[in-house]
Amino acid sequence: MAYPYVSDREVRVLSKNFGDPAARRLDAYLERGGYQALKKAFGMGPDAVIDEVKASGLRGRGGAGFPAGVKWSFMPKQPTKPHYLLCNADESEPGTFKDRELMRWDPHQLLEGCLIAAYAIRAKQVYIYCRGEFFETTQILAKALEDAYAKGYVGKDIQGSGNDIDITVHLGGGAYICGEETGLMNSLEGRRGQPRVKPPFPAAVGAFGMPSTVNNVETLSAVPHIITHGGPWYRQWGTEKSPGTKLYCVSGHVNRPGNYELPLGFPLMELINDVCGGMRDGKALKAVIPGGSSVPLLNAEECAGCNLDYEGVQAAGSQLGCASVIVMDENTDIVKQVRRMVAFYAHESCGQCTPCREGTAWMTKILKRIEEGRGKEDDLQTLLDMSRQMTGTTICVLSDSAAAPVVSSIQKFKDEYLALIRRGERVGVA
Amino acid sequence: MSEDAFNNPGWAGNTGEFDLSEDQVRGDDFVGRRPAAGGHPSGAASYPYMLADKNPEAVLFEGDYKERFEKILTRYPNKQAALLPALALAQEVRGHVSPETMDRVAELLELAPAYVRGVTTFYTMYNKAPVGRYLVQVCTNISCNLCGADEVMEAFLRYTDTEPGETSEDGDFTVIEAECLAACGFPTCVQINSRYYENVTPAEVPRIIEHLRSAAAGGR
Repeated sequence: MAYPYVSDREVRVLSKNFGDPAARRLDAYLERGGYQALKKAFGMGPDAVIDEVKASGLRGRGGAGFPAGVKWSFMPKQPTKPHYLLCNADESEPGTFKDRELMRWDPHQLLEGCLIAAYAIRAKQVYIYCRGEFFETTQILAKALEDAYAKGYVGKDIQGSGNDIDITVHLGGGAYICGEETGLMNSLEGRRGQPRVKPPFPAAVGAFGMPSTVNNVETLSAVPHIITHGGPWYRQWGTEKSPGTKLYCVSGHVNRPGNYELPLGFPLMELINDVCGGMRDGKALKAVIPGGSSVPLLNAEECAGCNLDYEGVQAAGSQLGCASVIVMDENTDIVKQVRRMVAFYAHESCGQCTPCREGTAWMTKILKRIEEGRGKEDDLQTLLDMSRQMTGTTICVLSDSAAAPVVSSIQKFKDEYLALIRRGERVGVA
Repeated sequence: MSEDAFNNPGWAGNTGEFDLSEDQVRGDDFVGRRPAAGGHPSGAASYPYMLADKNPEAVLFEGDYKERFEKILTRYPNKQAALLPALALAQEVRGHVSPETMDRVAELLELAPAYVRGVTTFYTMYNKAPVGRYLVQVCTNISCNLCGADEVMEAFLRYTDTEPGETSEDGDFTVIEAECLAACGFPTCVQINSRYYENVTPAEVPRIIEHLRSAAAGGR
């Protein structure tokens, strides 16, 4: 069965095996040059591996875009305690569905990336923290891991190199906040997945109190390619500040939603009109959320000149996040969708910080009221005031994320709110 | 759903192939049927199933499940870290995580019962009350919602004749709303027990329900 999400504009580096069930087998992976990057890395030494990844400019694909090589370099060079590598496979940002594809189509690519990264940061234990809902995906991953253990690519004295690295697949219990790196660490330790105050940063005090690094599935999946071909090779795609390729997860009102691997800096409108076959039913574009539900939405005008790299999306007034492009057509009820997103944040708030715990729930109530035609014009100012108080005032950014769609939608689609509110008032008077 | 047949590359098969067996969905030629004892310890924590048949009175843990539990313990520096996998395993056996189950898990891991309750109730995937043979979780978050998830949710409620979270009279179905299941390109995504059903439209709901009903009747 052919993988349907293919476009000739794609540069398939990480996604080249999507749609090929054979690729998840160890023998097929080895035939295609698999685990050669690991061998090369073992020959280079940990610091040279970090330098190579730094040279590639690979930025964290989990949303924040922090340079991966720099993050690794924060880990102590002379371990006095166990180090841990944590692979963030919690994939819980609404609109994001790339990690599941990476794990179920090319599990060994991720395992090899984990091994190289663990070697670079001098960790002997890797935990792949998968979201609990991924039953099917984790079974493929665990089977691949079992095969890799059987052939000596993971475990004690890997391929006679003298390096010991263990990998364990761990499942979460269904909580969005465990995708936040310190929430993930708490959850891994068998606690509630509540984020921790930083500092101390994970490289100093991480999982089990030990130096730890958390990387996204997509970041780690890119590592074997960078080691094989070198950092400069990776820079042939993308921009100076955002090099490489990225999996764009496109969902919503387009003809061909899906995962498309394209160079960073790809124009948003070409992604929608060309790669994804245009808007569904030929409708007009109303808004796009370019990076998952936690980032401000863009109206059609702002989408026009927007290039999808970290700087480009910021210039357009939003963030690239994990490049989860949610497309909304002219018939979209913005207020309803914003209410649905905020209700999600209210459900997923861990409850530690008052502005978030109370704010998300209160915002949901106000938005619900507006949606049902019982809103007041003052409500919009209340929402904006609350958004201000919910931004930058909490341990993690969940609260900021809940505020982002509220503020941006009130700024850009105020008339929709007002229409609902005023219609409601008329109904109330009659 | 647009007119052109849009193939789903995932385990749920092509659009509309909702009557695949669990083995086919799982990719039996690669993954195979997992042993209850959990296979290699590296993946022992990654195989919790949500099974149609539940045994709320089962012993925690005995036989193969005990073996799997012990494998899980070997992968962490302390017992507390095995809490989430242990809860998932308990749910696989018993179908839900009752207060008694929480206490038993606390005993096994040498943790305070109140601590285990605090952690268990933080996470949504541990069913705190019994659910039907099939737990239907409809994603109604933004990407699915834009493509009609609310209507899919309504259809599941209508055809199972239940309210959200309530178990149908025959004990077969519990339907709840779920937050994003990370299958946003294949809306609407519905998780039924362990399996994702993707590209589900309201029109296809009766067929899915019928299929599950006959499977349930076969299992009784």
